[in-house]
Order: sequence, then structure tokens, then C-alpha cells
Amino acid sequence: MSQMVRSAVRSVLASRGRFLLTGTAIALSVAFLVATLVLSDSMRGRAASDIAEALAGTDAVVQGVSLGEPGGGPGDPVRSVRRSLDPDMTERVAAVDGVEEAASQWKGFAKLVVDGSPVGTGTASDVGRNWVANPEFNPFQLESGRPPTEVGEVVIDRSLADDAGVAPGDVVQVLTATGMHDATITGIATFASADAAPLERTVLLPDGAGSAWLDMAAPTEVLVDIAEGADRTEVLGQLSALSDAKVVDGSDYIRTMQNAATSPLQFLNVFLLAFAVVAVLIGVTIIFNTFTLTVARRRRESGLLRAIGAERRQVLGGVVIEAAFIGTIATLVGLVCGVAGVGALRWVVGLTGISLITGPSIVSPTSIAIAATVGIGATILSAWIPARRAAATSPMEALRESAAEPRVVSRARTASGLVLAAAAIVGGAVAVVSSNPVWLMLAAAIIPALVLCGPAIVIASARWSSPAARRAAGVSGSIAAGNLAASPRRSASTALAIMLGTAMVTMFAMFASSLTSAVGTDVHDGLQADLVVTSATPDFSTIDPTLAGRIAEQPDVDAVTALKKTEGIVEEKAQAIGGIDPTALPTMFDLDPIAGDLADLSSGGVAVVGDDPSLLGETLEIEFERSTIEAPIVAVVARSTGGFEAPAYFVDAATLEASVGRLLDAQVFVDLADGAVADAEEDVSALVRDTPGSFLATREEHVASSGSEIAKFGNFIDGMLILASFIALLGIANTTALAINERSGEIGLLRAVGASRRELRRIVQLEVAILSFVAASIGIAVGAGYGWAMIDVTGGAEIPAVIVPWLRLAVTLIVAVAAGVLAAAWPAFRVSRVPVLKLVSGDS
Amino acid sequence: MGLPYKRQSGSALLANSDDAAAMLDGAVKRYGSGESAVVALDDVTIAFPAGKFTAVMGPSGSGKSTMMHCAAGLDQLTSGRAFVGSTDLSTLDDRELTKLRRERIGFVFQTFNLVATLTVKENICLPLTLSGRQPSDGMLDQVVSMLSLGDRMHHRPAELSGGQQQRVAVARALVARPQVVFADEPTGNLDTRSGQEILGYLRSAVDKHHQSIVVVTHDPNAAAWADHVVFVVDGRVHDVMDSPSADTVLDVMKGLGR
Repeated sequence: MSQMVRSAVRSVLASRGRFLLTGTAIALSVAFLVATLVLSDSMRGRAASDIAEALAGTDAVVQGVSLGEPGGGPGDPVRSVRRSLDPDMTERVAAVDGVEEAASQWKGFAKLVVDGSPVGTGTASDVGRNWVANPEFNPFQLESGRPPTEVGEVVIDRSLADDAGVAPGDVVQVLTATGMHDATITGIATFASADAAPLERTVLLPDGAGSAWLDMAAPTEVLVDIAEGADRTEVLGQLSALSDAKVVDGSDYIRTMQNAATSPLQFLNVFLLAFAVVAVLIGVTIIFNTFTLTVARRRRESGLLRAIGAERRQVLGGVVIEAAFIGTIATLVGLVCGVAGVGALRWVVGLTGISLITGPSIVSPTSIAIAATVGIGATILSAWIPARRAAATSPMEALRESAAEPRVVSRARTASGLVLAAAAIVGGAVAVVSSNPVWLMLAAAIIPALVLCGPAIVIASARWSSPAARRAAGVSGSIAAGNLAASPRRSASTALAIMLGTAMVTMFAMFASSLTSAVGTDVHDGLQADLVVTSATPDFSTIDPTLAGRIAEQPDVDAVTALKKTEGIVEEKAQAIGGIDPTALPTMFDLDPIAGDLADLSSGGVAVVGDDPSLLGETLEIEFERSTIEAPIVAVVARSTGGFEAPAYFVDAATLEASVGRLLDAQVFVDLADGAVADAEEDVSALVRDTPGSFLATREEHVASSGSEIAKFGNFIDGMLILASFIALLGIANTTALAINERSGEIGLLRAVGASRRELRRIVQLEVAILSFVAASIGIAVGAGYGWAMIDVTGGAEIPAVIVPWLRLAVTLIVAVAAGVLAAAWPAFRVSRVPVLKLVSGDS
Repeated sequence: MGLPYKRQSGSALLANSDDAAAMLDGAVKRYGSGESAVVALDDVTIAFPAGKFTAVMGPSGSGKSTMMHCAAGLDQLTSGRAFVGSTDLSTLDDRELTKLRRERIGFVFQTFNLVATLTVKENICLPLTLSGRQPSDGMLDQVVSMLSLGDRMHHRPAELSGGQQQRVAVARALVARPQVVFADEPTGNLDTRSGQEILGYLRSAVDKHHQSIVVVTHDPNAAAWADHVVFVVDGRVHDVMDSPSADTVLDVMKGLGR
């Protein structure tokens, strides 16, 4: 056994270059996988542990009955919608036997404003909540100063204090649902030990501010401390008996809060994991190729060993030990690089504009175990499969046969691949026609179909590209095209890596472009106002409701109207509901009514965004936190007001405020009088500048910026494209180097009969260029097709149309081919440098 | 024509170098250095006469293949000079050597003779296409009909027998009318009949078209087709024979301890 180990190590050292490449592939895959897992854990884990720590003192929570939960995708509302509690709920809870103490928790919108500018940007929410007196319950701890006692005093979280550079005693402003308020900072608080609650910026208010500032009639939640010695189950049972409320056990509450804090990141995690899987797949392909060749070269040797009486196990053993050796070392390197590289991945993710929780990375043993298992397991498996095949052939056959892979591709393999491909296309078509996402699972059969058809594709592309290559590059072209088919299976696995990478990038690009268009098109087509005032973030309205009135008083302003927005539950789904002035708004934003009359909103009707005029006249029920409205559909409009979380329904603004209380404005549309444009715009601009939480844009600017959030997503895709190209690059370099080794005789002959070094290089590069081009084209086509079906089926109202990003697809194709040629440069250079004689006599 | 050389103290001197297709002058080839150095060619001077069929023979490791590689510009001499015609190979850089190989030398190897992805016709024309020339139809037809390859022109090498493949290699070596054709064990992988056929073709190229051919072989039957046989032992020219027959060659070989 030790003899075997020693010979395996020697064999690795003997072909350092090849195994360095293989090792790099494994290490990169493992590094990417572990970095993804660690990042995911860190985002989740830090938030989770902070929440668990902060809420540890709470035994149970009484909440409003849930009306609807948020969706997970971009553009979906991020909060759950609950029926508001009875204003006396805290007293009722306190009165229950076995309850030691009950405390009200108010949570609403509050944004810190310092020197006229709002503090904090990015995806975190601006939260205002009351300071809970009992430190047992209070998730926040004072770091300095004192708690707020009177309305007009606030405590802010440390992250806000750092961002704004303020300290206790400073005078600031707080924007809430009731407008802008002056406030004095009395203290700085931490959320457990963290600077801030996960994905929240918190302003802590005294109890009285709940109704005065947050405009709430009742607490959001009641925190419960169960008396020691009381029967917990019984107390919980009694609390559940309270009407119009839901009781959650402390540990369940913590879990829910943890999920809520991390769910916006899940979307991203899925993307990252998908890329990690592709990275591993590409890595495995490279490893598999290397070992297939290693084993093939040793076939004769193993045949001899078997002939003189070695057992199969003994023949197999060496290769597997070799694989384990490389796999282990590469995996260790990969783990170290991966953990160290989390920062880099954070940077790539940061390109999306999603601000991640800062703090130390959490490297869990599970992440390490998963990545290590994948790394070592994949290496051994990729070595074991070809080794077993070699050991299974009879000794004499092995001795006789040459090392070259058969050029024939089994028809059964191609046929079953074609059947799968057909099934995938049918699956996609049925999914689109029936709008049933389940059929998309069948469409995913395209991946095994590509695996099975790969060799046939390679042979076909060799045949088809030959005339063109010949015309372009003469006899070198024919040789390059022909070489593709020389070992179809190996070429196919390289092609598969490129296909998967480009397909993935294409799908994301399709998704991004369609979403951008969905968000931007309505604004582009519908906006008629000269100026638009927008909120600080698309999710929250932050415009002082008095601003619209003040703008209207300006000279040369023709008309002003505001859009209000809130969330309501329609058919058990959380939806954005818009409140408008039905006579003023249509003059500044054309909602494109296709049935009914928007003017009827003023008599209590609802307008639906959609394309089905037959909805007219039906009755719609919208549930809000405090009330429910039932209204007839009086209009169907083809367009909403655009941007993220554009309303899916419109009601009269007065109706909306009557149902949910006072709201800040989401957007304000301004029409200027004809003629005096420049001065008037400056006047409005000055007003808006002085009003925190509001931003002015001209029509052109607003049209351009709609969907700009998603443009950042494009950066992320580019980052991933670069990463995918880099891994595929390794694959190509490896495969090409292997192929050149195998063909050294032929290359030597070419040199002997007078091919120059440049011609040899050109043959290698041309071969890779053809392969990359074919594979990337197929990958892009598959990605586009699958992405199209997926967006069409699951996009719903948020992504009504699939937009193909032709330019980005073209760039992807060019990058893939360029990366391929670049990767082949090194082996091509090497082959051209080898002395002729070595090639001629290399294998004879 | 008389003897191409005169024997003198282990090295061969050329008698009429003006008439040589290729020539080595004081050629030394040493592999490695210091104590482990192996001398493959030890001060060899020899001329391969134009328009003749010369066979180079010798036991394994005698340096006969090295001699051919150096004479053909596939390998560099440690010292001494190699000529093809009147061109001194040591003065050429890699690019010029490459050009020389494709325009003035034809090769036939034991294995790896054909490019698997090209058709028979493309393989035959390869040296010409690489230098951007078209084969003259007359020459191509002549070579193809001489080697009876007319019905195989659009086949791939894999579809041919070993003997046929080697005929294609010979055709490729001849089609550009090179100054000299070097063949390294061209019959080593063939059965006797196919081997004899190949040698017959080479012979007729010499007889009909005055092609200069040098064949490295260890088979006395192959050497019997040649005009002269050069015997190489331990990196030196040991003996030379004119108008050889299989028996006379075998006798000399036996004398070499084979």
C-alpha cells in the first residue's frame, strides 16, 4: 500500500503542469463554493444571532392577525401585512393570569434627517419604534445617554449615529407619517451587540410618539413576560383566546424575525449558489478529462500488470490514491482561498447595490464539510470512473489498444439526448401556454440533453465549420476543424462548461433586461408631467405631504398631484395599492384606461392594472391593517405609475387615507405653465431641496432613472460573467494541453513537413475558437429559451414582457470566444516551442 | 559514378561533394554533458549522392536515426556542418529551416505519417499548401497513378490499410519534387509484401525521376533496394557497400555483431 502511495505521489510530481491545472480547477471550485456558503452564513448568521440575543428576554408576542406574507422576488413587497391590534390589547394581555408583564411595541416609519439630508441609503428600512422601558423586553440597549421620555426626544442606533456624525444633545429632524418633526438626541443604542438591527435603521421614540409621530392607533405588537412558575402552555392558551390577535411563542417569534431579516438575501443566495454549482461542474469536467487521459495513457501498463497477475483493485488503487492526493491538497488550498476570498465575493455582490451586513465572516464547520466533501469527492469520483473502465477491459485488449479515444459516438446516446431535448422544448412550450411553472422542470431536461448530445454536437460542428475554416485559414483551418472531432467526448465536456456558463449568464441577463424594461417602460410611455418629486427609496414613501401644496403655490406651476402608496391584501397576496386624485393624475401620467372611467374612483371605486376589460364591474376586496374595503372595479388601466412596487390597484387618495390613516406621498407630479420653464423649475427645486426625503427629477431624468436599480444588477451579471469565463478558461487551457499531448506525433509531422510555429499556434487557437463559438452560441440559445419561458411563466404582472438584451448576448458570445482563444494561447505557445524532433520521436 | 566516399580512419570523406543531395561534414552530436554524455555522432563526414537511393543501416543505438535527423534539419549538430544541396543548415534560423523542410525535403516516417483530419489528397498536398503553392496537376497525377492512389483521394487516413497509408506518405514526400527524401524506417510497421511495395515505389522514383532518397532501416531486405548502403556503428560510418543484395548486407551486419 505504501508502495502504491509513493508511486502515486511520484506520478503526480512527474506531470506537475497537468496536475497543477487540475488542482487549480478543484481549488477554484472549492473556493467559490466555500466563499458562497460562508457569505450566506455570515449574512444569515450574524443577523440571526443578533436577533436571538436581542429578543431573548421575550417569552411570547401578541400580534395582529396576518393578512398576507411578502414575496421573495425583486419588486415584491418586503413586509408582511397584519391586521392592527385593539388599542387596549396591552392591558388585556397584562390582565391574563400568569402574565408577569406586558409591554407595547410600536413600529412604524421614521427617517432620521440631519441638516436637511436624510441619513442612510441602500436597502435597509427606516424604522421608528418606541423605547420599551423594561430592559428585559427591549431589544435595544443604551450605549450612551438616556432613554427618550418626552415626545421630541429620540434615541438612534449606533450605525445611524456614526453615519450622521451626531451625538446625544444634538438637534435633528425625524420624518414620519405625520411629517417632519424636530427632535433632540438623548442617547445612542445598540441592537444586542450590533450597531443596528439587521437591514433596519432605527429611531427609538418615547411611548407617546406612537400616535403623534407614527400615526398609529394601536401598538404593533405586545411583548409578554410569563411569570416564573406559571404553566407556560396554559398562559399561551389563554392568550390565544384573546380575540383579533395571534400569539407567537418567543422562539417562533425569533425565528420569524430571523427569516424576515434574511429573506431579501435569499434571492441573491440562490444566484450565488447556482454559480457555485456551475463552477463545481466545470471543475469536475476538467478533473474528469485529466484523469481519463491519465488512465488511457496507462492502459497498456495496467494491461501488463493485469497480465502478470495484478488484481483489478491494485490497478485501480494507484489512480484513486493519486486523485485523493491531488483532491485533498487542492481542496485545502481551495478552502483557505475561499475563506480569504469572501471579501472579494462581497465586493462582487456589492455591485448589485445590496448593502451586506458588515462584521466578521462566520465559517461554520458545515460549510467546510460540504466544500471539502464536494472537492475531494468529485476528484476521486472523476478518477474512479475512467479507472474502473480501464480495469474492466481484459488485459490483452488493453495491451493491444491504443490510447486514443474512439471517434465514434454511440447512436443510442445521441438519440436519447435528442429525445430529452425534444421533451425539454415541449416542456417549455407547455409551461408558456398553460402558465404552469411545474412544466419548467421538464424544460430543465435540456441540461442532460446537452450532456448526451455533446459529442454529436462537436462532430457536427467540426463537419460544418470545416469549409468555412478552410476558406478563412487554409489547410490550418481544415486541420483545426477536424481536430475538434478527434476526441469528441473530451471536446464535448469542454463545450459543456462553456455552454453552462454562458447559459447561466444569459438567463440572468434576460431577467435583468426584462425587469428593467418592466420597471421603466410604464414611466417612459405614461409620464407627461414636467417634473417628478420622488421618495428616498421606492419601498417607502418619504415625501412630506404638505410639499405638494407648497409647490402648487409657486408661480408658473400649473398643476400638482401626489401619488400615495401602501400595501394591501388582494386575494391573499400583498399588493401595492395606489391612492390618486382621479381627475388630476391622468393629466400628468397617462394610465392608459382600456375600460371604464377613472373619474368613478371618487365615488369609491377601484381601478385595476391589467389587460382584461371584462373585470369591469366585479367587486374587489382589499384588506388593510386597520380595515377592509370592498369596492366595484370601475376602470381597467393598462399602465401603472412605474418603478419598483408600482401599484397594481388604484383608489381615490381620500378613500385610501380613510382606510389606513395618513400617508406620506410616494411621488408628486408637477406641471409647469407653458413658457416660464427655467425659473419655475428652479423655484420648485429649491422647495424640494429644503424638504428632506424628497428628490426632484425632470421628466427625462425620471424616465432614465426608472429601473436604474436593476442596472446595478447588470454589474453583478458582468462580475459573474468574468468569473465564469475565468473558470471556463482553465477548462479550455487544460483540455487543449491534453489534446496537444495526445497529438504530439501529428504535430511533429506537421512541423517536419514544414508547418511554421505560427501555423501550429493558429491551428490550436482556431480549434478552440470554433469550439467556444459553437458552445457559447448553444449556451446562449438555451439560456435565452429557458429564461424566456421562465420569465414568461413566473414573471406575472411585475415582468409583463420578455426583453432580449441583444447587445449583452452579443458581448457574452464575444467574451466567451475571446476567453477561449486566450486560454488556448498558452498551450499553443508551448506547442510551438517544442523542438521538432521531440514531437516526431515523442511516442515512437 | 564511382564511390561516394573513401574510407579513412573511421570517418567517411566525400569524393564528389558537388554532386551531393545532402551532406554531413565533421558532424558531431552529443546528448547530455559531463560523464553521462552520449556521443550519437562521432565526427561523421558523408555525402548522399543526388539521384541515388542510399540506405543507412546499423544496429539499434548506432546513431543512424540521429544522422538522418541532423542531415534533414530536424535536429541541431553539436559541431560540424550539415548541407542540403549547397545550403549550410547551421546558418538557418527556425523559420528558414521550416521553409527549407517544406520546399526542399520530403519525409516518410515509421508512424504518425498522416494528418488524421485531412483527406488523402489534402495530406499529399500538405507541404505545398503550407508554402502557399498549388501542386502542378501533372506531378500530382503522376505520383498518384504511380502509387495507385487514384480511387482513394477523398478518403481519410483511418479508412486506409497500413500499406496504403504509407503509400500516401510516400506520395506526399515526392509530390513537391524535393531535393532529397528522407525515410526513417518506412517499412518498419508493415507486412513484408506492403514493405516491398513501398520500397519498389521509392526505387522507381529514383530510376524514373532521378529523385534522391535516403532510407534509414535495419532490414537487409530493404537495404537491398538501394544503390549504396552506409553502415553506421557507434556513431561512426563503419563501411559502405555498392549495389547491395540482401545477402551481402546481412553478411556485413553479422560482422557488426548483429
